[in-house]
Amino acid sequence: MSESPYPSGSVRALLATDLVTSATRAALEARLHAPPYTPQFFEQDTYELLRAVAARLLPQPERPAPIELAPALDQRLLAGTSDGWRYDALPPDREAFRLGLGGIRQSAQALFQREFEQLSPEQQDAVLQAVQQGTAPGEIWQTVPAARFFEELLAELTETYYAHPLAQEEIGYAGMADVPGWTKIGLNEKEDREI
Amino acid sequence: MPDEEALEEGVLSPVETEVQDPLLKSILADNAAQAPTELEKPLEIPAPADEVDCVVIGTGAGGAPLLARLAMAGLKVVALEAGPWHDPKKDFATDEKAQEFLFWNDERLSAGHDPIAFGKNNSGTGVGGSTLHYTAYTPRPQPADLHLRRDFGVGQDWPFGYEELEPYFEELEQFLGISGPTPYPWGPARKKGYPLAPLPLNGAAQLMQRGCEKLGIRTSPAANAALSARYYQEGVGWREACTNRGFCQAGCSTGAKASMDVTFLPLAAKHGADIRPGSYVTEIERDQTGRITGVVYTQNGQQVRQRCRHLFLCAGAIETPRLLLLNELALNSGHVGRNFMAHPGVQVFGTFEEAVRPYKGIPGALISEDTHRPKDADFAGGYLLQSIGVMPVTFAGEVARGRGLWGQPLRDYMRQYNHVAGINILGDCLPHEANFLELAEEKDARGLPKPRIHFTSQPNELRMSAHAEALMRRIWEAAGATDIWSFPRNAHIIGTARMGLSGDDAVVDANGRAFDVPNLYICDNSVFPSALSVNPALTIMALSLRTADKFLGQHATTTHP
Repeated sequence: MSESPYPSGSVRALLATDLVTSATRAALEARLHAPPYTPQFFEQDTYELLRAVAARLLPQPERPAPIELAPALDQRLLAGTSDGWRYDALPPDREAFRLGLGGIRQSAQALFQREFEQLSPEQQDAVLQAVQQGTAPGEIWQTVPAARFFEELLAELTETYYAHPLAQEEIGYAGMADVPGWTKIGLNEKEDREI
Repeated sequence: MPDEEALEEGVLSPVETEVQDPLLKSILADNAAQAPTELEKPLEIPAPADEVDCVVIGTGAGGAPLLARLAMAGLKVVALEAGPWHDPKKDFATDEKAQEFLFWNDERLSAGHDPIAFGKNNSGTGVGGSTLHYTAYTPRPQPADLHLRRDFGVGQDWPFGYEELEPYFEELEQFLGISGPTPYPWGPARKKGYPLAPLPLNGAAQLMQRGCEKLGIRTSPAANAALSARYYQEGVGWREACTNRGFCQAGCSTGAKASMDVTFLPLAAKHGADIRPGSYVTEIERDQTGRITGVVYTQNGQQVRQRCRHLFLCAGAIETPRLLLLNELALNSGHVGRNFMAHPGVQVFGTFEEAVRPYKGIPGALISEDTHRPKDADFAGGYLLQSIGVMPVTFAGEVARGRGLWGQPLRDYMRQYNHVAGINILGDCLPHEANFLELAEEKDARGLPKPRIHFTSQPNELRMSAHAEALMRRIWEAAGATDIWSFPRNAHIIGTARMGLSGDDAVVDANGRAFDVPNLYICDNSVFPSALSVNPALTIMALSLRTADKFLGQHATTTHP
């Protein structure tokens, strides 16, 4: 496991400056200071399963508290909003996520005879890999295409993760600090405010 | 968890009073069988407003230029835009998630072997339409793009030649303030060069230039509708130069990018056009002879009727055919919703030792059109090559979908984000009977059927993409990349109400007028008979000006068009 090549705190420092517009700051700080969240769409145990899955898809062992990825999905499904399209092969999002998470539960039982949350990290990864490859056992996967569901779940959680200021610090992104514009845009060129 | 009933996907008011009377029940059932949509129930709508000369549905690249043209000719025109009117300087954040309101996010169902991504990939909403999030890449098509059938025996030819569009390309380049190279290295010689010098090259463009040079492929700074210097815009005033924010695909906050809201729409408004945001059209009304008499739209939850003498439908290649199908309008040719095309747009990414920081500069800074008709092609048509900058959230989503990385490998790969550069193609696509739009049984929040779009890449697209991917991998290897991978994708949406010479196999004639309806014009990417091997925005705008001129010419002899 590699470390981030960038220093911690860079984006947070930029947010305190007038290099960031107020609209941009508002968007990023809302994620940075997100209050504790209680699920409103998922049942509590399904929500905990989702958190356990997210912890394997985007593991964050180095963080004292992980960036929470489940709240954004729960809120979106509650609101019934969409990103403009879905695979016709999948049922509507609310149903797809309930069924898909249920499918992960079934696969864990079929492969290891235990709840997903009780499996070792290696066993959890084996379940998720089987879902990604479309080979996962379980009745639900007879009607829900496992690989498509996995792609949707992974893409949504990944986009939520990299929209977070701490994740953007980790990858050295400084694009939010664009009030003065950029003049040093070529190879190996950077402004003082870039990391 | 909330009540299960209230959670039904896409239903706002799921509870309907049950009808008890058996006779009424059977009458309603009969009516429902004949008129399956909400649309045909009698509407209680405020008294008709005054009739206007023209209503334009949509304010993107198809609707905005003609709106300005018609207003400047002295006509009374109304534009209906489904989305809101933004103040980019104040409202637009430099944050991909926060900007998702720019995309047409009503759900579409993507079917076929290669389902198309909509939303941020190609569909916009708001005053300015998809130009609010287009990349500003504005190459002209080449003349041969308009006659693929003549040259290769496949696809469909345009009902006119390049010379019909050329004066409009020139006008647009000057009006919008397009930044580009003069002379342009490909295509026929031009009367006028671009009004502004090209935008500076970012890291990805420099790397593509390096790789192409080693392989003997010509490159050039690309034509982009973003200002490399301050520019005076008629009807608007001074627009300031691009600050290299790199954020074109999620909204320009400086006005440097020539989206319609900072160019044609203010010009139209200055000449009296009435632009109504938040106006979602549901019904197109006709008289007994089939002439359109007006439209019904929803604004702030109220239904409003606007009567008009002529209707211009400019809602894009999904919503335009959807409106036609919902209203059973202009369907005689059987081609509404058919001939759906989407540009092959495979992307190839590589990791470089140098820092690229791909979030800076105009995303598509460099172009090559040496692949317009490759000598070793085993396919019809061709493609262009484009360097690409990419924002972190978009890139992360592609890594997840395209590479299938997750867990620690995903996080490790993303830590190289600042060293990643991409190239993509934009290639021609042939119409095929397997690729079409239809209305699904599933309803949206308004109770209207969602569109389902079938798309499967056919052998010509597959061979072209394979050729392009191999070439882009060689370019990246020559430029020094490691860990090269490709992300297959299809971009723009085209062709669902095509233009042609005969009402037997086309929806509109060469002037953009519907064969079936005398006072209906369609102008957006749905009328393209073929996909062209360039990004469509400039050609849509050219068609828009031409459609307005043809319309004005036809009605010049009457006092009231």
